[in-house]
Amino acid sequence: MHDGVAAYVLGVLDEDEHEAFERHLDTCERCQAELIELVELPEQLDELKNAPSASDDDPPMSMSR
Amino acid sequence: MCPVLGHLDGRFESADAEAEHRIAVLYQEFGGPLLRHVRKSTGNDLQWAEDVVQETIVRAWRNSARLQWEPSLIWAWLLTVARRIVIDGRRRKSVRPQEVEPPEVDMMAVPDGSERALSAMIVADALRSLSEEHREVIEQTYLRDRTINEAAEILGIPPGTVKSRLYYGIRALRELLRDKGVAG
Ligand SMILES: [Zn+2]
Repeated sequence: MHDGVAAYVLGVLDEDEHEAFERHLDTCERCQAELIELVELPEQLDELKNAPSASDDDPPMSMSR
Repeated sequence: MCPVLGHLDGRFESADAEAEHRIAVLYQEFGGPLLRHVRKSTGNDLQWAEDVVQETIVRAWRNSARLQWEPSLIWAWLLTVARRIVIDGRRRKSVRPQEVEPPEVDMMAVPDGSERALSAMIVADALRSLSEEHREVIEQTYLRDRTINEAAEILGIPPGTVKSRLYYGIRALRELLRDKGVAG
């Protein structure tokens, strides 16, 4: 259950799992502490999403499937 | 004691008046900073950002037990709630043809000398230095606006594995970025 904190802070859980994790968070001090630690990470990742677009010869990071 | 719920006892004639007051206090405490953060993820759509902040504040008001948390935890929770609202909104708005070519996530900023491009490069570097397994789940979930379950299907691995890899990947990324001192 504790490992859901990353998915929770990124907002990538399904609705019901998101709500279930919030209930877990209400009583789990470990996850509360980790939420505080991780809360800025999504915005740092947003830097990639919002960055000016790559030039065509930059290789994509991931393999296209 | 949390400043949000301080001095609220017994001063209100009606529940409505108290609710209104609580919402006003929440706005006062968190509204401005929240709006600044939310605007980053709505692009320059100020109207949308304001709607997101409003919905976040209302949700916080409905979950008043959580407002007894310490302020740093309330703030982390509010930011997470707001981000989720933005993501849900973006999913509803988008009509991305997922089956055709998924939009490439731009991993490299063009170095134009701005702070923003610089921090994008630092984040891209950090991401690149993660293990393939960790990098892959971060890309296939958050960076492509996909849920754990959607990414699991695409990657052909169980959702629990995606969730767990995401956890360790995010922790590793956090450590890397902390060392590099990237501003949040
Ligand atoms: Zn936990």
